Formats: sequence, structure tokens, C-alpha cells
Amino acid sequence: MNVFIVETDKAGLQKFYEEIIGKFETYAPVEKFGKYDYKRVLKLNECEPDSPIETTMSVKPLFFPKTAKIMKFLESSSGTTLSEIEEDPLSGKRVILGVKHCDARSLQVLDHVYKWDYIDTDYQNRRENTVIVSSRCNKAGSQCFCTSLDYDVENSDAHDVRIIYGLDGKIYIQAVTEKGITLLQTSNLTNTASASNATEEIKKLYQSFESSFRLRMNYAEINAKLQNLYDSPEFDIVSSNCISCNTCAFICPTCHCFKISDEKIKDTGVRYKSYDSCNNGYFTLMAGGHNPRPVKYRRWRQRAMHKFVYYQDRFGVNLCVGCGKCAISCPVNISIFDVVNQVSKNAGLQN
Amino acid sequence: MDYSNQIREIASRLFTDNKIDYFVGYKQNSFDDSQVPFLFTDPAKISNLVFTEKSVFNLTNYLKPDHTKRKRVGLVVKGCDSRALNLMLTESQVKRENVYIIGICCEGVLNEKGEKAQNCVECVMSDPVVYDEILGTPSGKKGYTINADIKELADKSLTERADYFEDIFNNCIRCNACRHSCPLCYCAKCCIDQETSTLYHGANTSSGAMHALMTWSLHLAGRCVDCRNCEKACPSHLPLHLLHKQNESVIYENFQQHLAGMEKDDRGAFYKYSLSDPDDFIL
Amino acid sequence: METEVKEAQSKIVSAENPDLTAPADWQPVIMGILCNWCSYAGSDLTGTSRIQYPPNIRIIRVPCSSRVDPWFIIKSLQSTADGVLISGCHPGDCHYISGNYYARRRFLVTKKLLNFVGYHENRVQFSWVSAAEGPKFAKVVAKVTDDIKKLGPLHRYKKENF
Repeated sequence: MNVFIVETDKAGLQKFYEEIIGKFETYAPVEKFGKYDYKRVLKLNECEPDSPIETTMSVKPLFFPKTAKIMKFLESSSGTTLSEIEEDPLSGKRVILGVKHCDARSLQVLDHVYKWDYIDTDYQNRRENTVIVSSRCNKAGSQCFCTSLDYDVENSDAHDVRIIYGLDGKIYIQAVTEKGITLLQTSNLTNTASASNATEEIKKLYQSFESSFRLRMNYAEINAKLQNLYDSPEFDIVSSNCISCNTCAFICPTCHCFKISDEKIKDTGVRYKSYDSCNNGYFTLMAGGHNPRPVKYRRWRQRAMHKFVYYQDRFGVNLCVGCGKCAISCPVNISIFDVVNQVSKNAGLQN
Repeated sequence: MDYSNQIREIASRLFTDNKIDYFVGYKQNSFDDSQVPFLFTDPAKISNLVFTEKSVFNLTNYLKPDHTKRKRVGLVVKGCDSRALNLMLTESQVKRENVYIIGICCEGVLNEKGEKAQNCVECVMSDPVVYDEILGTPSGKKGYTINADIKELADKSLTERADYFEDIFNNCIRCNACRHSCPLCYCAKCCIDQETSTLYHGANTSSGAMHALMTWSLHLAGRCVDCRNCEKACPSHLPLHLLHKQNESVIYENFQQHLAGMEKDDRGAFYKYSLSDPDDFIL
Repeated sequence: METEVKEAQSKIVSAENPDLTAPADWQPVIMGILCNWCSYAGSDLTGTSRIQYPPNIRIIRVPCSSRVDPWFIIKSLQSTADGVLISGCHPGDCHYISGNYYARRRFLVTKKLLNFVGYHENRVQFSWVSAAEGPKFAKVVAKVTDDIKKLGPLHRYKKENF
């Protein structure tokens, strides 16, 4: 694919956003109760897509919503009739602005499980119909560790268009995929890559971004160590102040557990699929009363292992993108980074 | 307000005399200047303990059996925390001989913006009401003021309030962090989570959120001590104090100025009655 | 023109959602929760005395008014009910001695909280009706039905909206 970069400035970027909002169903970070989330916007001044905003939830709710109807049912004396939900409100052609590259990457990670033993057609439709415009971060957040994980942050193709903020008010709009090129061409933006030294500037900006990380780890080493640490008593110590509240799994861009529930009025009803969390005490409760994970440390062990061992074994990628949202939203600020590092570090001492 | 050294010294003494199995205090967060709860059994970790005006979380939450497994616990409590502890003791959730209470005469904690938190500005009791050791100078009971936010909302019209609350219930993601961080929500299985009951509402709709949050606040009415653990835990930053403070003000005005957890055997406003309770609203 | 104005005026506007209306002959659904020893017996007396009262109320029986958890009220409003009536024994006459004393505390707090959150205060009403007060029960139901008819249908947070 040829390099397609448009060099512009703040005014040009605003115009680009306004065109997109005018032409497509657009989602961007919107403020509510002092925090940001991706919501539908009809005007540019309702949202802040300009620089990467720390949103509470990632773009996950736009692909795997917090609650979704999956079918309707009607009970009668002759049996139960099932019927389809007429339309999925999230399946239209849409553009998401102001996405961080870690959130965009999380969709590539989730793609594996949604195409695995069962093809989730709702999710596939939403993925195909969405164009992702990401804003490049200029420096790492206090809980970020994306560069330590197993994906190429600099050349990621998880998003279709990337906005990079340069020095002296210069802004680069780079198309990364075919969908991205189509979007830029629809907005009548021309490729200025050959006319400038945009590619070198972008490389320099990335280097300064990469050096701003406080948290680093060797994920391959951790994967290898955790394989043998199933019985480590360290899991109890790292999870001691966890309150099993479900927040981390709901917020995490890659967590995908769900529960099914039925809502009925008289004899008609709807079946829903909603978020669930393996940290919940009743997640593994079975009919009959047996619960294989009744205590906190077993649930935390499962969470850490799923993210850094089991998913890696099955699909070849970690189930974590290093965004740090779990640590920021956790009521007691437990971070998966701290958990896996502490468990693997103390393993050596045990032996 | 800095009692870090005194708390370390007391914890060290408790471990040496073998009076406790767990100690629950605060430690510095690894990535910013806030503090997080810290539970430990190993005396070597005592140097991590701190206590300043950033020690916000109500630690009595960790007396639930899930966390400290009914063992002996040494605990740091501020004024409001000790009122919650009082209620837990009366409601038989903790044995008095299993808790060693270090009470702090609190001067108020700071919120994320660095200002004194709203519930500290409106505090009614900053001294610990139950303790084994006390740090700081007691300043006595303070007067009760109605929360500024609920006064403002009460003046709005019905539809304005309805729209505002519908917004709140729409943003709830039913994570249950509010319930899990509240010390007084200790039911082994919450009524709202009973899958076998037809009252269960598992879908994350705003109807379900209204049902869950309203039921939760009414089950806590007369027992809530305004520690704001719920609001700080909520990932959607919902203003949950509105529901609890509304109940608290109705109870204070109508039921002999009752405030949760102030007296030794207090069990909450709904566990007692007076022959002169108002009932002019009843036909 | 006059008939148009008359038709427009005779529509009922929902108190919490002024943009939603119902036709003038709309009938509310009212959930009645009555205590077994006084109010339920009282409503029975109303029936045997052949005193008419509006049929909008659906009655369920509980042993005592203090059995009523605020959850029942919220759940009814979330289902098909447009209003709730809870009735118990007069203070001092409770079959379980003090149940209704505890209940009236809970009733006041629930009523005020529901109003605070955006339900009109007349959606949930309470009464003391003894086993001998047949006529009073009819009057209470008539008043409550009338109040709720004026408030219009309840639309917010209904389960069927999803």
C-alpha cells in the first residue's frame, strides 16, 4: 500500500471532522459527569476528538454493547415461539473519532475469539461497517504499558486513519488501510507525502513518545514464568485488597465475558446479553450450588492467566493491550501490570 | 494531618504481641499521590503504612468475611468509618474481640481536585465513636446541614428532576462496585442478584439500573454513614450521594434527628419506631 | 373546530413525560398491597356489603404492612402498574403488635425518594383501613384511582420499553 499522508493544521483538522460528522453516523468522546465516553455526536462542539482523551470505557461498547437484545419470545399453550430482533442499532455505516491506538488494537485482539468456534455475525457486521480514526498519543499515561506488549505500536494497522500531532501546530492525517484512504478521498484530501518530510517527522515523534513510558515489562518472560506459577501463594497477596466489584472486566477493552438474562411481561419477553465479569463471586456458580472459584485469589489467578497465558496459547496474542484503564477505574487501583510482575518476580524467590 | 508514624508503631506492637492476624491500613498508590487500602499479614510490610488527608477509602469494608476471613484484624478508622463499624458490630457482622480499632480524629479528607471533600464539609461526627486507641484531639459532634446538591434539585420541577435522574440511570453499567465497596452491604447474596427470583433484572437497561440503585439506597436508608466509598468506586462517576443524602435528610427531619451509627447499639432508623412518627401522608 | 378543541382538551397528559398523552377513556392499573388482618378483611367487607369501587385495583395480600419492602413498590411501577396503594392496620391495632409502626417509617422515606427521583408524589399512596371499614376502603380506592387517572400513564423506566 502506498503511503498516504496529508499535512494540515488545526483548522484543516476541524474541517475534516466537521465533514465526517456531516456525512456519516459519528461517535466521539463526549463528557458526562466529569468523565468521557464514546457517544453519538451530531455537532463538533458536543465532543472532543482532537487529542487522545482518557475515556472511561474504550470503544468496546460500540462493538460489544453493555446490553443487547438477542431475541424475542412468546409463550403460548402450544409452546414457545422465538423471533429475531428487527435490527441492530449499531450496525450502520459509522466512523469513530478520537480513538486511542490501544483501543483500536483491542478490536484486533477480540476478532480472534469472535471468529473462533462460533462466528458472531453481529460483531462482524459492526466491524466491517466502522471506520476508526485514531489520535496518536504524544506521551504515555501513568498506567500505560502498550509498548511492552506483543504488537507494533508504531506501525499498527488496527485503525484506518491516524492523526498525529506534530510540532509548531502541524498535524498529519495518515491513512493506514484501504478503508482509510477511501475516507480521506471522500473528504477531498490530497496526499502530500511526497512533498514533505512527513515520514521522518512522524518517526521522530514516535521515538519521543516511546521514551516517555514509565512502565515496561518483558511480556514473553512473563508468559513463560506464569505457565508454572499456577500454585503460587503470591496470587493471594496481590489480590488482598480487591473488592470483586466487576469494574475491571467491564472497562477492559479486551474482556468479553457476558451473561444471558430474560425479561418477561406476562407471556412475551426479550432475551438480553449483558456484560459479566470473571471477578464476580457468582460467575462460576453452577446449578446445584457448586462454585469452583469461590475465593478472590482463584478468580484473580484465572484473570491473570487468561490474559497472559491461555489466550496466548490459543490465539497467539495476549488478551491485554496495555491501556491501563483497569488500574485507573479500579476503586483500589489494582493494576494487571503489577499483578503479573509481582507474581512472576516472587516465583524465583519461592524456589 | 499525618499519623503515619503512630500507626506504624501501633501495628508493629500488635503483631509482636500476636494480637492480630491481618492489619488493614493505607499505602501510597504506585502511580499518583492518592492512597489505596492495604491489607497484610506480614509485619515486614509495616513501613508501607501511611495516613494523611488523602486516606479516603472506608476500610471497614474489609471486615467482610470475603477479605479477612473472620480472623483478628487491626483497623484504622476515621469518624464516619467508625460509625459504619458501630453498625456492623450491632448487626453481628464482626465480633468486637476480633477487631482492634485505631480511631483517628479526622480533619477531613481531600477529593480528586485537592479540595476538602463535600461529605467532610458536611461532617456530623469526625471523632471515632468506637475505638481501642485514639489519635488526635476529639472535637465533638457537629451540627447537621442538608446537602447542598439535594437542596438544589428539590427546587427544580418534577420533569427536570426526572430527566436528570434518567441520565444517571442510563449511565450506570451495573458493575456493582458501589455495593461491593459499601461496608454495610454485606449480604452473602444480594437480593438483586438472585437469578432464580423473578425479581432479578439482569439486563443493563436504565430500568434495571433504576430498580437496582433505588432498592440499594432504600435498603441502606437509616444505615448509610456518608463515607462516599460508593461514589469513589463508581467507574461512571454517578452522583450516588444524592439518593443517600435525600433519605438521610428525610430521616433526620422526621425521626427524632436520627443519624446512623452514632450510638453504641444503634441498628439504623428502620429498626426502631416512635409512637409520634408522622403519618399525615397516610389516608 | 369546537369538537377539535374539545378532543384536544380531553386527552390525559402523563405527569412525568408531558409530551406523552393518553385518550380520555384510559384506565390506570393500580397495584394494591393489603395486609391480611385489617385491610384485606376490610376490602372483603366492602365487597359483601355490595359497595361499588373502581375495578382498576389489583390486590395482593401480605401478612402485615411491614412485609412490604420498598422493592415491591419499585417493581410494580416498573411493570404494568401506573400507581400503587398500600394499606395496613391502624397504629396500635396491628395483629403483630408493632409491624405498622416500622412500616410507616419506611413508607415515608420511600415516598419522598420516589418523588425526588421523578415520580409524581401521588403515584404511591398509603392508607390505614381496619377490618370494619368497608365504606372507607371503597372511598380510598376511588380517591387513588381518581388521582392516578389525572396523572396519566407512567412511561419512565418501564420494562416493556425495552
